[in-house]
Amino acid sequence: MTAILIYSDQDNFALELVTAARSLGAAEVKAVTINNEEQAQVLANAGAQVLKIDNEAVVSADVAAVAAAVAQAAEKAGTDTVLLTSNRRGKELAGRLAQIMGAGCLTDVSSIKIEDGQIKCQRNALGGATVAVQTITTDKKVIAVMPRTFEAATGAGGSMEAIQVNIPAATIKLLEVKAKSGDDVDIEAAEVIVAVGQGLNDAGQLPMIEQLAKKLGGEVACSKPVATDKKWLSEERIIGLSGKNCKPKLAVLLGISGQVQFTVGIRDAKTIVSVNTDENASINTMADYILVADLHQAVADMNGKL
Amino acid sequence: MIIVGGGLSGLAAAYTLAQEGLEVLVLERGDYSGAKNVTGGRLYVNPVRELFPDLWKKAPFERFIAHEQVVMMAKERSVTIDYSGSELAVEPYQSYSILRAKFDRWLAKQAERKGAMLVTKNRVDDVIMENGRVIGVWAGGEELRSDVVIACDGVLSFTAEKAGLRKPGRANDYAVGYKEIIELPLEVIEARFNLEGNEGAARLFMGEVTQGMFGGGFLYTNKESISLGVVVGIHDLMQGEVAAPELIDLFKQRPEIRRLIKDGNTAEYSGHAIPEGGLKAMGKLFGDGILVAGDAAGMAMNIGITVRGMEYALASGYIAAQAYLKARERQDYSAASLSVYQKLLDESFIMKDFNSFKDAPQVLENPRFFNYYPEMVGDMMKEIYEVPNGPKKKIFPTVKSRLKFGELMAMAGDLRKVMKI
Amino acid sequence: MNIVVAMKQIPDLQQIRIRNRQPVFEDVPLTLGPIDKNALEAAVAIKEQLEAQVTVLSAGDENVEDTVKEALAAGADQCYLVLDDALKNAESSVTAEVLAAALKQMEDKPDLILFGEGSGDNYSGQVGSRVAAILDLPQVGYASAIEVGEGKAVVTRSLENCEEVVEVTLPAVVTVIAGINEPRIPSVSQILKAGRKPKEIVEPDELNLDLENAKTDTLSNLAPETQRKRVVVKSVDELIQALTSEALIGR
Ligand SMILES: Cc1cc2nc3c(=O)[nH]c(=O)nc-3n(C[C@H](O)[C@H](O)[C@H](O)COP(=O)(O)OP(=O)(O)OC[C@H]3O[C@@H](n4cnc5c(N)ncnc54)[C@H](O)[C@@H]3O)c2cc1C
Ligand SMILES: Cc1cc2nc3c(=O)[nH]c(=O)nc-3n(C[C@H](O)[C@H](O)[C@H](O)COP(=O)(O)OP(=O)(O)OC[C@H]3O[C@@H](n4cnc5c(N)ncnc54)[C@H](O)[C@@H]3O)c2cc1C
Ligand SMILES: Nc1ncnc2c1ncn2[C@@H]1O[C@H](COP(=O)(O)O)[C@@H](O)[C@H]1O
Repeated sequence: MTAILIYSDQDNFALELVTAARSLGAAEVKAVTINNEEQAQVLANAGAQVLKIDNEAVVSADVAAVAAAVAQAAEKAGTDTVLLTSNRRGKELAGRLAQIMGAGCLTDVSSIKIEDGQIKCQRNALGGATVAVQTITTDKKVIAVMPRTFEAATGAGGSMEAIQVNIPAATIKLLEVKAKSGDDVDIEAAEVIVAVGQGLNDAGQLPMIEQLAKKLGGEVACSKPVATDKKWLSEERIIGLSGKNCKPKLAVLLGISGQVQFTVGIRDAKTIVSVNTDENASINTMADYILVADLHQAVADMNGKL
Repeated sequence: MIIVGGGLSGLAAAYTLAQEGLEVLVLERGDYSGAKNVTGGRLYVNPVRELFPDLWKKAPFERFIAHEQVVMMAKERSVTIDYSGSELAVEPYQSYSILRAKFDRWLAKQAERKGAMLVTKNRVDDVIMENGRVIGVWAGGEELRSDVVIACDGVLSFTAEKAGLRKPGRANDYAVGYKEIIELPLEVIEARFNLEGNEGAARLFMGEVTQGMFGGGFLYTNKESISLGVVVGIHDLMQGEVAAPELIDLFKQRPEIRRLIKDGNTAEYSGHAIPEGGLKAMGKLFGDGILVAGDAAGMAMNIGITVRGMEYALASGYIAAQAYLKARERQDYSAASLSVYQKLLDESFIMKDFNSFKDAPQVLENPRFFNYYPEMVGDMMKEIYEVPNGPKKKIFPTVKSRLKFGELMAMAGDLRKVMKI
Repeated sequence: MNIVVAMKQIPDLQQIRIRNRQPVFEDVPLTLGPIDKNALEAAVAIKEQLEAQVTVLSAGDENVEDTVKEALAAGADQCYLVLDDALKNAESSVTAEVLAAALKQMEDKPDLILFGEGSGDNYSGQVGSRVAAILDLPQVGYASAIEVGEGKAVVTRSLENCEEVVEVTLPAVVTVIAGINEPRIPSVSQILKAGRKPKEIVEPDELNLDLENAKTDTLSNLAPETQRKRVVVKSVDELIQALTSEALIGR
């Protein structure tokens, strides 16, 4: 592999992409930054060859402009392969960038490796029921890798170079940026997760769950209906296809049936405990420890004993 | 023309009416026809073959039943009677195993092809009555009018009840069935049941399978799965110590069953009520602006250990459609005009069956059938086949010791009742 | 105002079973992508405020003709279908070419083209972006609110850590998230009317389109193997003991 270009709007994700590029055996890891001096510095410090774009016309909210900028950077850097982060911005960018580069594209890639001379990417399919292994068959490739798939890179010997790009007139105007209200929990980063599902009787029982999470040194998370239908917890805490992808050391799942849309978000946990009144709940097929019990009773018991 | 319920009876009525070029609307609450419909899994085609002549060639049957087996199950042993008559193996085949999820969906497609409108995910919430006559239904907050409503909404028919045609039933008139569909590779099924090609086996179980309660177990082979289930009377169940879902678990653990389903994957699990009060429990079948067909009308029968309902559902749907057509000629949808339905039913195999089996439910409430006899036959067989170290007893005394005088009298009594079935 | 909603036919994911790690599609009913239904609902909500015509655009095999009824019942006025067996599981880049060609061909020029954030089965989130690129239109992804004004729209884009409110000139491509609304359940009479709504059906040839080769290849698609202990513990004590012995708690 010759050179690989990486881009992410977030510093930590960009560093992960540097590692990803190295894992693919890139001779040179190039990184493009857009109006972000600080990120350029960070990436150069980690050993990347940074192509800096400083151009007010490239507004991050305007995907068309960002895609044009990254495509031109790829051309200048002489790279066929671009790695992006599969967060929302990265995914939105991926399709547009791939289209203007004439590239094949894969997003939400959860594992990536070189095998038989091909880059093999794994990603969920069919709502998480299956995992597909896919390759891109065109020379030009855009791959969006899930956050936290790789460790952030360290290293030295990077460089920085400013480049110029031509950006068409903007068609998008950023009016306002609103912080997301309320919950700023990051369940993806938690080492221990205590997740509740619709087995929970009512919101009044939540303090008990929080207490357990605290005792175990973890965060409270939930299945989707608990947040979207019942609104007992914020949507930030949803595990699964439309929520977060968690890989904790320990996950305690309380009153969750185990539909695939949920399990995709937790199947990489190291140890899974399931507490469910139904011994046939499908979640039990993917648990390490199964306690067939009323969760309220069990949690009260655990809180007492821990 | 509105039909409530897109199961076999509703679809049969819709198919028949649409074929005549009428506008038919079927309202089905499930995600699709067959989604939640439960059956054991055997359809006898003969009684309904002529009613839908074009239908059968492409029907998605699983296997034709070429091996009929009855298993009398005692606590620690069982006796199997296996019948493989050559007439079972020649076309047209008498009965087939089917899977409702497939079969009903296919039938729905056929009805739609004929022009019927099928609206799924829509539950009928109420029946609209005017001066004691049914003039339509409420569904999804909308009023839908119709000359006649055909209630095909299954065993606990809400439509017939709302229209005042049936009362909430008594527990003795229902059984509940629990069923699993267990997937196995084709070759494994063929090997385990000794089947060739599209042959299938039907195996019915009585005795220990229901812990002596009224009912039985069944097993049908499909192409790549097995339908396995237990049927018990609700009345007995309410008095018994074993919860119904446990019965099927215990059933699956029996050595006779365990090896048949080994390494299988349970793809579906369901429970459902079955009407089986027989003729006596049947509600009124028609009223002003309404006809009732299939399970909604109580047209299912438990003849000992096998349940029949699907042919009755298909045929009564067809006959309800004929009755509507007759009433339409007269432009009169009153109960008097629709009473032709009763007449057509009486002439059909349905009522003939129900009449000849009208005592069946009562006879079969006799617990001896589900408890005593299987145990006795099992013990007898054990003694007959046992070769002790020493001389083997003569067979006749073995049998005789089992059949004391009082016993024989009781058996004769039971037998007499059974003969009436 | 013309709104086009791109909707993909997918197998009902709840009905897909796994056998020997392979997904079984046999007899699985077809439906439209769940988030695509949110996109449609967003379009219908706009229509209820302004004069607008809502067209559903879909590429797929001939079953789409039937599946699309769901969308016509849920408030779309008409549909434009590109049907060909090859389009059934077409790769995102191919689908995008087809949809873009169809959009160019439409008589009533679209002002707003809505997509789901991702399709139900593939969830690649590429098609909307690619179509925008081909047609050289501005795009806003992950919309949680859309307000249409004269020649422009104000769209709230929901990102992981913030929300951006942007103004975009029309015509534009917008992709929506599931949280944007709750799709309505059509009434019986709407379902009955759906059958009579206009359908324009074309084949890829009629769009002067040579279907391109897929740009990706799927080597395998299997259910993940779960290697879990599946130890049934009888009591909370036993559970705590097990977790302690694995050093997962009580450090
Ligand atoms: C496109 C799409 C995306 C989706 N995305 C997600 C997603 O990201 N995340 C997600 O979670 N879901 C998602 N879903 C929904 C998902 O399909 C399920 O509906 C959901 O996960 C079910 O949540 P649950 O397990 O909490 O509830 P249920 O399925 O209702 O299960 C409740 C469980 O609690 C048990 N229980 C009941 N009482 C007790 C008690 N007292 N003690 C112990 N146990 C008890 C029951 O036995 C049962 O197993 C999505 C669905 C779709 C269609
Ligand atoms: C365990 C078990 C084993 C059986 N074994 C056999 C067998 O081997 N052979 C045999 O011939 N028969 C068997 N039967 C009986 C047979 O399955 C039934 O008699 C048959 O399904 C009746 O068909 P139906 O159309 O009348 O009712 P159903 O198939 O029950 O259809 C009724 C339909 O109405 C819909 N519906 C209900 N309420 C509403 C509403 N308010 N609005 C809209 N839609 C509504 C339901 O969703 C359903 O689709 C068995 C039954 C059970 C439970
Ligand atoms: N075959 C198709 N026909 C119409 N729209 C589609 C098709 N495939 C994808 N889309 C649209 O593109 C969005 C993103 O799809 P995907 O890139 O597959 O995640 C979907 O939510 C749909 O709105």
